[in-house]
Amino acid sequence: MKRAPGRRGWVMPALATLLVAAILGSFAIGRFPIGPYELLGAVAPRSWGIGEVTDQMRAIVLNVRVPRILLACLVGCCLSGAGASYQGVFRNPMASPDFLGASSGAATGAALALLLQFPAQVVMLVAFASGLATIGIVMAIGQAAPGHRLLRIILAGIMVSSLFNAATSFIKLVADPTDILPEITYWLMGSLAKTRLDTVAFVLVPMVVGLVPLVLLRWRVNLLTLSDAEARTMGVDVSRVRWVVIVCATLVTAACVSVSGLIGWVGLVVPHLARRLVGNDYRRLLPVSMVGGAVFLLLVDDVSRNLLATEIPLGILTAVIGAPFFLWMITRRNEAI
Amino acid sequence: MSIEVRNLSFAYEDHGVLHDVSFTVSDGELLAVLGPNGVGKSTLFYCLSGLHRPRQGTVTLDGRVIWDIAPKRLARQIAYVPQSHDPTFNYSVADMVLMGTTARVGGFSTPGPEEVAIARDALDRVGISHLARRGYQQISGGERQLTLIARALAQQAGVVVMDEPTANLDFGNQLRILSTAKELAGREHTVILSTHNPDHVFWFADRVLALSGGRVVADGPPRSVLTPDLIETLYGVRVRLIETEEGRVSCQPTLT
Repeated sequence: MKRAPGRRGWVMPALATLLVAAILGSFAIGRFPIGPYELLGAVAPRSWGIGEVTDQMRAIVLNVRVPRILLACLVGCCLSGAGASYQGVFRNPMASPDFLGASSGAATGAALALLLQFPAQVVMLVAFASGLATIGIVMAIGQAAPGHRLLRIILAGIMVSSLFNAATSFIKLVADPTDILPEITYWLMGSLAKTRLDTVAFVLVPMVVGLVPLVLLRWRVNLLTLSDAEARTMGVDVSRVRWVVIVCATLVTAACVSVSGLIGWVGLVVPHLARRLVGNDYRRLLPVSMVGGAVFLLLVDDVSRNLLATEIPLGILTAVIGAPFFLWMITRRNEAI
Repeated sequence: MSIEVRNLSFAYEDHGVLHDVSFTVSDGELLAVLGPNGVGKSTLFYCLSGLHRPRQGTVTLDGRVIWDIAPKRLARQIAYVPQSHDPTFNYSVADMVLMGTTARVGGFSTPGPEEVAIARDALDRVGISHLARRGYQQISGGERQLTLIARALAQQAGVVVMDEPTANLDFGNQLRILSTAKELAGREHTVILSTHNPDHVFWFADRVLALSGGRVVADGPPRSVLTPDLIETLYGVRVRLIETEEGRVSCQPTLT
């Protein structure tokens, strides 16, 4: 007798524990390893005098490692949460955060800003704004075109993102190949290497503003995965809830891309793993995806900064880890998604 | 709860589907809407559930026009049971039924113990408690239809609208679903269901509404209005009606 994917109440506590362990572990590895005791000393006021913490160590902890670890967790959490939400409202298990072109749009914005040699903060801002604008365009086309609404939004997303990809290619073509082109290329591959405390501050607001409604609406998303007619006759204002979910998922995706570049696969692989663990009920699926995404990206980022002498871009690593993992997951058992 | 449809006409773009349909269903009745494929039964049910707004005419529920009722309130008065389907994601039968309680739950919250109890009760009433933890995608077509009916019960609505509940089901399951529908009508529900099988109407319905070309061609108790001539009008085939010793009527094709 086949049962629906079970409740498995242990998953969430286990993931939370894993997250704490991964955070502590991430401080401990790197060119300057920082143990738990030293970490405590570095974040506590100097006057408490915990451990023998040098100024250099304190600077590394506060200005390099804390922001980077925090951002890895936030980006992983947001991409997975957005991916799971998109999958629900589009009733498409293959949907991911870059599904509607938010990433392509943000990439074009960032490439353009880099081409014009804007400072880092402006690049972030332009990437964020163009990611949001892209979804605005996609939704406007989707509303205007005749036919099945979900399908036409998806088609509009495919078209618009391919247009933006062409624009990005063109910007790369005209960029100065000695200094600007590598910078653009590197940005597109995704990285958290340039994270600073103000980067985290910049994205924290849109991320929280986007994630909170997604979490609150998670029960309603269950109904949206059925047909519009069913959801509506069970009392859900289908178009409004779907619109809020799309806007919020896009907001957090654009925020992620603006600070970390293009990091693929997280938003597809992690929600699927979560589906395997706790089933498709968004009451459990969404939180598990979010925490799982934070753990996943933090660990991948640790590999990124420690495996080789130079950093490996995150987008490459998530693809190398994500694609085979996904393949294994879908071929392992003939189980319905 | 009684539902009244008056002079209802509906068209997709300029393709007219329903023309001047009027009928009423009173409390506790089981109304069968009979007609061939594509006659507008599903469209009528969409109008009855507030999903389509007709071009002309009104649907009123205890005297109130249904499109003046907010979706959340309407959901607690009219439940819509779709044809059994294959959703993208696999939910447990228990979760599927729990979704019926959504109208009771605030927009930003999730069902609580009270809703879980309602869902459990609904499963029990339809007799599928043993399926609660199975996946909806892994159960049979008949079990899926029962799950959807349980979900409608969890909605605690007075009117239950079922769009061809027996479609794609085997003989036994068809009868099981119709008996369940009959039982609901016997208790506190008003049930409206569609079918294209005249036998179903004879066996289970209190009243029949026959549709042909988007118009009502007959409305009344099955035995008095469902004649061989009407069936020929609807389906283009000759039949005889046979009455069994227990007084049941059955439809027998006249094969040539």
